[in-house]
Amino acid sequence: MTHSAWHIRLQTFLTSVRRMFAHKPKALVGTLAGSLVVGSCARNASQDTWQPKGPNAEIIDNLQQPIFAVAGIVGLIVAAAVVYCVIKFKDRGQPIPEQTHGKPALEITLTIIPALILAVVAVFTFGVIFKLAKTDDTEMIINVTGQQWWWEYDYPVQTELGIVQPIITSGQLVMPVGTKVLLRITSRDVIHSYWIPALNGKRDAVPGRVQTLRLEADEPGIYAGQCTEFCGLSHANMRMETIALSKEDFATWVANQQSKYVAPAEETLAKQGESVFLNQCVRCHQVNGLTRADGTPAIAAPDESVWSGAAPNLTHLMSRNTFAGAMFDLVSKQCRDEVWHATSDVFGAKYLAGVKEECLNQKDLRAWLRNAPAVKPMYSNPTQLEATGGKYRGMPYLALSEDDINKLVAYLLTLK
Amino acid sequence: MFSAGFKYFIGLTLLSVVALIMSIVVLDQVALAGTALSMLIVASALLTGLLVVTRDGDTQRPQSASTSEVPGQSMWPLVASIGAVFLVVGLVTSSVVFFGGVVVLIAALAEWMVQSWSERASSDAGYNSVVRKRLLNPIEFPVLAALGLGVVIFSFSRIMLSVDRSTGASLFIVFGALVIIGGTLFAIKPDIKRSLGAAICVFGALGIVAGGIAGSSFGLREELVKARSEGHFSHPECGAERSKYFDKNATGTLSLRSSINATIEFVNGQLTARVVGFSKPQKSITVPRSTPTNIIFRNLETDEFRLVADLGEKSDTGTYGDTEKILVCTQMTVAGGEQELTLQIEKPSSSGYSYNLTVAGVEGQRIEVVVP
Repeated sequence: MTHSAWHIRLQTFLTSVRRMFAHKPKALVGTLAGSLVVGSCARNASQDTWQPKGPNAEIIDNLQQPIFAVAGIVGLIVAAAVVYCVIKFKDRGQPIPEQTHGKPALEITLTIIPALILAVVAVFTFGVIFKLAKTDDTEMIINVTGQQWWWEYDYPVQTELGIVQPIITSGQLVMPVGTKVLLRITSRDVIHSYWIPALNGKRDAVPGRVQTLRLEADEPGIYAGQCTEFCGLSHANMRMETIALSKEDFATWVANQQSKYVAPAEETLAKQGESVFLNQCVRCHQVNGLTRADGTPAIAAPDESVWSGAAPNLTHLMSRNTFAGAMFDLVSKQCRDEVWHATSDVFGAKYLAGVKEECLNQKDLRAWLRNAPAVKPMYSNPTQLEATGGKYRGMPYLALSEDDINKLVAYLLTLK
Repeated sequence: MFSAGFKYFIGLTLLSVVALIMSIVVLDQVALAGTALSMLIVASALLTGLLVVTRDGDTQRPQSASTSEVPGQSMWPLVASIGAVFLVVGLVTSSVVFFGGVVVLIAALAEWMVQSWSERASSDAGYNSVVRKRLLNPIEFPVLAALGLGVVIFSFSRIMLSVDRSTGASLFIVFGALVIIGGTLFAIKPDIKRSLGAAICVFGALGIVAGGIAGSSFGLREELVKARSEGHFSHPECGAERSKYFDKNATGTLSLRSSINATIEFVNGQLTARVVGFSKPQKSITVPRSTPTNIIFRNLETDEFRLVADLGEKSDTGTYGDTEKILVCTQMTVAGGEQELTLQIEKPSSSGYSYNLTVAGVEGQRIEVVVP
């Protein structure tokens, strides 16, 4: 095909596009509007900001609904005015009208009305800011530390809640319902942002700073969240979940988290898995109570291999439903659905049952152990680690054999 | 025929597509480049579409005129060659020179191309000049303004670092007052001659730049030189003070005070921790592992004291394999004063070491530091 033929075809195509814009604007606008409506009708949207499940989120919701309405009305008026002007004063070759300057009454009106609207909005907004910043009514404290690309939660000693020794976990934050929980949020590497839409707004996790965020849930259940500050390669996979349990169930959870380490029975696959863990995983992952063959505590040293200086503590891994920064479910879809969709009265029992062997998501867990960077984007190639002095961001490829993986899975299943 | 704007943006779109394909083929990790190029493709394609619909927004397109045959004089080849020289010299000297050369070269080539194109836009030199300005001024003015402001701000910082504190404060007030007075004059006399306004701004900027050059030649004021030679306020020693040159009000910044892990108070011989969220004073604080954590020591006694943090042990690299305690501490803190301290602990408390905070010279008072 000659150059001129291409030229003519392209020009014909562009002309047809131009005609479509010119003659079918209703169809175009209708398609776009329909797409928006259909998109907004998503069911089971676990991170819907319009469905508060706790008093803090309700405070925000009570502010954002009227403001959204006011902003929507103003936006519609402006849009309608713009469309009217575009159509009414379209260039049809008519002479340019006389140009004038200054309409004091109109300008003052158009300044005062928005200023009044914003002043009213500001009054209520400041009220909400101060309400959400309260810390003197705190009933429980949880420290939250973000790093690429997972969240760590540690519970300081709070004897009145049964926490007599520090608890540390990751991926899923567990708290009692009807309790004013104060998160003390920081970061080990870059800026992250903690957000459980159903329970409160966002709070940045900034290295070197401790920022607070109130959480309180009305009902037992799982509340999903997502890191909302771009933090590197796997930012999109940095999820988190908050688990709200009844106070009785929470006490059970606390007791389990403080229970002593139970080594697997001798001459079992799990016992062999413990050896693999000691040889490979304990370089970064801590299991409280785990000892080496000589009886000394096996203390992980993630600061020697990981840029953030930390890796998830796996002491009670199988009491959680997720792993790898909550990117993967630790339980199969059916078992997970049973927990997610459980009614309030049985939710706690189902969650506290932990991960049983028949419910374990073997596929994702094995894929993770086989080659973690292949299933979650992480900086694992040594050539990419110059900026961090050779330290990994995320979990590296460990070249484990299938035999080792079988043993490890058996061992991890014992970490209830 | 296609409009000039359409040709430009369709070219940019296609070039971006080619760059994206090349980056996918050549690079291992294309997350950042891929995102940037994809956004560029979307943006330029959108603009291409808009230009097709609006025909460059040109309702009264002039008849195409014959172009000027004689190119005008241009300084851009000279600037481009200087950029190329910097680029080559930077390859063997420093990356700053190299990237400076790259920036100069790209800017000069872009200016040169646009100038060449605009000179052939029509036979009317005035029209050609307008076309060039319409395209490049939106880029040139902000860039030049940023560069000019950068030079002025940098010069001002040199002045402030060279004079003593009280003179610096006075200068700041004077400069600030002059800016406000100048701005007020311009506001109440909008019909002032542009040349006069420009002259005032230029002379003001030149004065600051000259002051900056003079300040640089004088060097930093004495205490800054001293502080830098001693590690710039780090003062890691826990022994006797080595210098009077440290910032006794280091914790005066709101940003630090609002984001600390805990405030350690020493009052009536008692050491307690105030932790946000806990209503009562605590005898322990929790510090995440491997995380820089700021605390404030508040001395409410009548004498000077310092807080000492025992952060474990590290192996001595010497022959005998001994261990050495890791101690960090505040400066001697005056009565009623505050000092900030940053803790970073790599091993959990379960490793068997008892981390704690104490006050030097005071027995029986400690805050346990728990590392989960």
